[in-house]
Amino acid sequence: MSFNVLIVDDSISMRAVIKKIILISGFKMGQCVEAANGKEALKALEDNWMDVIVSDINMPEMNGFELLQSLKEDDFLKHIPVILISTEGSKERMRDAFNLGAKGFIKKPFTPEAVKQILCEVIGESNEEDTGDTEVFDF
Amino acid sequence: MKKIQETLKFSIFEVFEKMFYIFLEPLDEENIGYDMEAGIRFDGCLKGEIRILLSKDMAENMIQNMLGLEKDEITSQIIEDCTKEAANMICGNFLGKYDSTKVFNLSIPTFVQGRSIRPVPKILKDKISESGEMNITDIATDEKDWCMDFGSDGGRVAVIIDTKGSV
Repeated sequence: MSFNVLIVDDSISMRAVIKKIILISGFKMGQCVEAANGKEALKALEDNWMDVIVSDINMPEMNGFELLQSLKEDDFLKHIPVILISTEGSKERMRDAFNLGAKGFIKKPFTPEAVKQILCEVIGESNEEDTGDTEVFDF
Repeated sequence: MKKIQETLKFSIFEVFEKMFYIFLEPLDEENIGYDMEAGIRFDGCLKGEIRILLSKDMAENMIQNMLGLEKDEITSQIIEDCTKEAANMICGNFLGKYDSTKVFNLSIPTFVQGRSIRPVPKILKDKISESGEMNITDIATDEKDWCMDFGSDGGRVAVIIDTKGSV
């Protein structure tokens, strides 16, 4: 089964990197929608069903915490797992994130392996494709 | 200030290695020119600003390594975005290492290039000893600025931290 992912980050480079990591990690990705902030993410969720949201924290307009809060208040959206990805890795920030319902937290800078591990924990290893032993990824 | 310098150096190396696959070495040159600058302010138990200055070839190298783009695919928008993200990551990583128990607020990064780059303040820099080891130059207790230049085969980068007004 493939999964739809919403990537929320004001950096186009970071959105591209996260998308690339998900693809090279062997997950069966269906639709991939990108948003530059929390407001755009909520708008995207009006038209698209997402299985997981990967979101930055520090963004203009609506940050990652505000997005989490909005999702939590929506009966239809509150069950979508959210992984926060940020440079802000203080213990208090991480506690706030999990208290607001985040299912995972990835600190920047990250390795592709770290992102893959959190994705496995959050969406399950069953979504991983068998990519074979000899495939080499250009990353 | 020494804790700040050492922590920041570690963060610079970590961000460039993990995200851009670039292994930096300290440069001991004066009057190095740069093509662009990203700045980010931070507020908390330590306040100030971090500025990242890049040569064009370093910025292009970072983008090629991180996104797998060819040189002719790199746009000015991607250069700006990537430079700002580098500043964001170095600042966040540095503050997390400086004190992981405290919360810091980071501004949205800014970007300028060409003549708009702010001058590098006249401040004491790290010097490299003959053995190649880093020495922290004696710094007056009220000195709150620090700058260091790094290089690799693919260009140059300078990082400036200004902690004036820190508590």
